[in-house]
Amino acid sequence: MHLDFSILPRFADALAYGLWLTVRLTLICIVTGGALGFLLALARRSGSRLLRAVSTVYVEFFRGTPVLIQLFWIFFCLPILLGVELSSFVSGVIALTLYTGAITSETFRSSLGTVGREQMDACVALGLPARVRITSVILPQALLRATPTLLSNAISLFKESSLVSAVGMADLMFVGQNISNNTARPVEVLTAVALIYFAVAFPLTRAVAVLEGRILRKLAV
Amino acid sequence: MDYVLDLGAVTRHFGPLLEGLWVTIQLTLAANAMGLVLGFAVALLVLSPVRLVRLPAVAFVEFFRCTPAIVQIVWFFYCVPMLFNLYLGSMTMGILALGLNLAAFNGEAYRAAIQAVPREQRDAAVALGLSPLQSTLHVILPTALRLAMPVLLTNGIVIFQQSALVAIVAVPDLMYEAKSLATKTYRPIETFTLVALVYFAVSFPVSQVVGWLERRRAVAMA
Repeated sequence: MHLDFSILPRFADALAYGLWLTVRLTLICIVTGGALGFLLALARRSGSRLLRAVSTVYVEFFRGTPVLIQLFWIFFCLPILLGVELSSFVSGVIALTLYTGAITSETFRSSLGTVGREQMDACVALGLPARVRITSVILPQALLRATPTLLSNAISLFKESSLVSAVGMADLMFVGQNISNNTARPVEVLTAVALIYFAVAFPLTRAVAVLEGRILRKLAV
Repeated sequence: MDYVLDLGAVTRHFGPLLEGLWVTIQLTLAANAMGLVLGFAVALLVLSPVRLVRLPAVAFVEFFRCTPAIVQIVWFFYCVPMLFNLYLGSMTMGILALGLNLAAFNGEAYRAAIQAVPREQRDAAVALGLSPLQSTLHVILPTALRLAMPVLLTNGIVIFQQSALVAIVAVPDLMYEAKSLATKTYRPIETFTLVALVYFAVSFPVSQVVGWLERRRAVAMA
């Protein structure tokens, strides 16, 4: 068959628009999902049995079901249950936040586990209130240790965000599929879309690897 | 909320959902078989001292790890028939797309495990006069497989969940049946909740087994 990649520049604007939505969605959900994940991790280590049980079920459920079905659920079921119309962007943010929260909480949980018991004892001995204990002692250390995994999670989220195309959000994947259907040139367009995702994700994975080496060296000292 | 739940709308149509689940399970098992075997081969290629062998393998792994699975699946379904004039059943295509994706992820797991095989074992294999093939199959593979098992199983569960993506290219898996049932009955809440629970019911026990394996290993190492 005859390949013609020269059709691509015509759609550069549309693809850039899609990429911008993908990036916005990813960045927002990194922040919201990260915050939710940290709270969940605290809940899973809390003294209250109820909090522990609820957060554990939540995390296991979101990790144990496909993201696609979570998206469908938020897009089609949540508006019925709440009785309000949600814009597709808001629905997308909610769905990916809930999912990212579950994934991130596992990262925080294992990094919180590495903050030594002595530090907690020291906090109690110093009479620090719970809020200070969390924000000034535990959080900074847990965050440093969790950073490489958190960044990897962020890159995964960038990739997972392409699922919103299945519910009709005009992200990079959706725009790509549209162009491919309209021009009947799937090979050129879809390859270009894949390469765009790759061009963003690959350098980031390298950067994370470099950073991880540095943090490990720092922690070892 | 003035919405009355009607689970009967879903339970009356259990047949198609079960068929969908069966398709999902077949996809998962076949992709895992492919990923487990091909992944090991990929890891060996990635670790090869020959640049010409290593580079394409590394490119394969990085490409599959750095692009969304949905892009890979859609690409596969649209582009492979056009590029290679190859028309396969949708099931075969789904297995190939998921299997290649899994091979890239398992390749990384195997690579880490192979590198963790103690140096002495390789030396011993050489000292015993084993051929490279013999030492790979009988010394490195068993140890690496054991080391990589938790990650391989986790990847296997992930591919079970990722298999829902083939619904987008109209493979009649569990997700696809759920979508069409939700549309047909106008009962998205009941359908999607139930199907989510079905996915969960399959992947949760397996992830518990992985956790148990990891704890056992932690104890054994200590």
